[in-house]
Amino acid sequence: MELKWVSRRSRGGKIQMEKTMKTPSESKPKAPATLQALVPVFISTNPSHVNPDDLSDLFIACNLSCHRFPNYVDAGGGRCVVEAVDLHKLRVALSHSSVLVSVFCKPNDVIGCSSSFLKEKQQQQKKKIVGFGELLQNVVMPVTPLNSQLVGFGRAVSDLGLTASIYDVMVLPSLRGMGIGRMIVKRIIRMLTSRDIYDIAALCSENERSFFKVCGFGDDILGSTAMMYTRSSVSTNPQDNQIVKRAGRKLLLVPPLSKTLPYSKTMKS
Amino acid sequence: MRTLTLVASYPLCPIVSFELCRQASNKLFFPCNISEKLAKASRVHKTYQLKAGFWESIKSGILNNNTTQVVEPPSTLPEEEEEPLPQEFVLIEKTEPDGTVEEIIFSSGGDIDVYDLQALCDKVGWPRRPLSKLAAALKNSYMVATLHSVRKSPGSEGNDQKKLIGMARATSDHAFNATIWDVLVDPGYQGQGLGKALVEKLIRALLQRDIGNISLFADSQVVEFYQNLGFEPDPEGIKGMFWYPKY
Repeated sequence: MELKWVSRRSRGGKIQMEKTMKTPSESKPKAPATLQALVPVFISTNPSHVNPDDLSDLFIACNLSCHRFPNYVDAGGGRCVVEAVDLHKLRVALSHSSVLVSVFCKPNDVIGCSSSFLKEKQQQQKKKIVGFGELLQNVVMPVTPLNSQLVGFGRAVSDLGLTASIYDVMVLPSLRGMGIGRMIVKRIIRMLTSRDIYDIAALCSENERSFFKVCGFGDDILGSTAMMYTRSSVSTNPQDNQIVKRAGRKLLLVPPLSKTLPYSKTMKS
Repeated sequence: MRTLTLVASYPLCPIVSFELCRQASNKLFFPCNISEKLAKASRVHKTYQLKAGFWESIKSGILNNNTTQVVEPPSTLPEEEEEPLPQEFVLIEKTEPDGTVEEIIFSSGGDIDVYDLQALCDKVGWPRRPLSKLAAALKNSYMVATLHSVRKSPGSEGNDQKKLIGMARATSDHAFNATIWDVLVDPGYQGQGLGKALVEKLIRALLQRDIGNISLFADSQVVEFYQNLGFEPDPEGIKGMFWYPKY
């Protein structure tokens, strides 16, 4: 659990100042950047800091779903949003995830970052004057999960022996481009490698690919292909007893129960 | 989510040392004049601690800011959630000319010997992996399906030869996502539909628990095998990426 600073200017060159509260020996003081554009965030790997309701709101804000092929509902005005996550299932998923990383930020900073660029310049001017006061406030009332908003999240499921898969990495749209997503993925990887797991996979869609590439992911060295179960129906005969299960907008066919195989090879002499 | 509002009757110096904050983070400090409402509202639950830091509690009272929240740890799961019920049944039964009966038994109980598995991996030509890691992976997998061959000779009663001939396992978060790893069948028993049976049983068990995102990473020579089972490569542009440590 750490307090970190992210900079608005991290699109080009990232300037970060790290301040760890628990182990002072780990703190790496870098050249202090100008204070205007720095936003304090709190990163945590403690599962109890994740509130499923807040997480569900974050899912909606990022327009993401736990289903790989989500159902889109028309929200009016031509916008398509994902349907909300089932809270009970989310709780189950969280409790069975090996690694949970959450990032928090003060609500003021969330609003400040989402303002337009012009407004930001004015704000920066103002911030120059009150810079010290804000710094003092951040020191005295630091960002903690209790007084701030969940703005970033990521989790990984692992067998704690050989492999792990990363799911649901997300950052509030207004706070993107500041290095928070990278911070989350780096932390997940650190948690996994500290448990000696180096086979870390991530299933990503087209627009997430460049993000994961920057985080150090690439195509499989062994040339494997990622595949997903998408079979919906084998026969067009409606009388066939086919059970299907809904997963987002896909209707997946449950393989029929056949206790014996249709054929058995004759024994070789 | 409950909101804690402490009413402090006297203003406090705003500068509080970090150490005090940290130490207080796990305890709830009650100032002398505490409102009756708070005493009734606070509930001591044996499975979680109230995480309201001393400074936060005073601040919320002074600033009349009701955003201080108590975050509960993930609640204990409802009892109706069960692990997949282990199944065991005979998949194939063959009788040899000399009277020996061979049964191929499917089991999802995860009862597997790590040494047998290591030997099977060698047989199919897979690289060796540390046994402790294998054991941990099996223990923490959502489901491990195995195929054993049991040979019963007519003469020797109770002298059954049990051999591991196939395995498949899946990891999952028990709700949304699952990944199938390590599907293997003894080369001498391949081509009979055993691998297909293993994977189909896994899919069936996963779908029955409403786990809809079933994925796997297939080597190039088995892509077609999984396509026949209903898997689609790179569906809708979803690709798998792996982490590369930069030394």
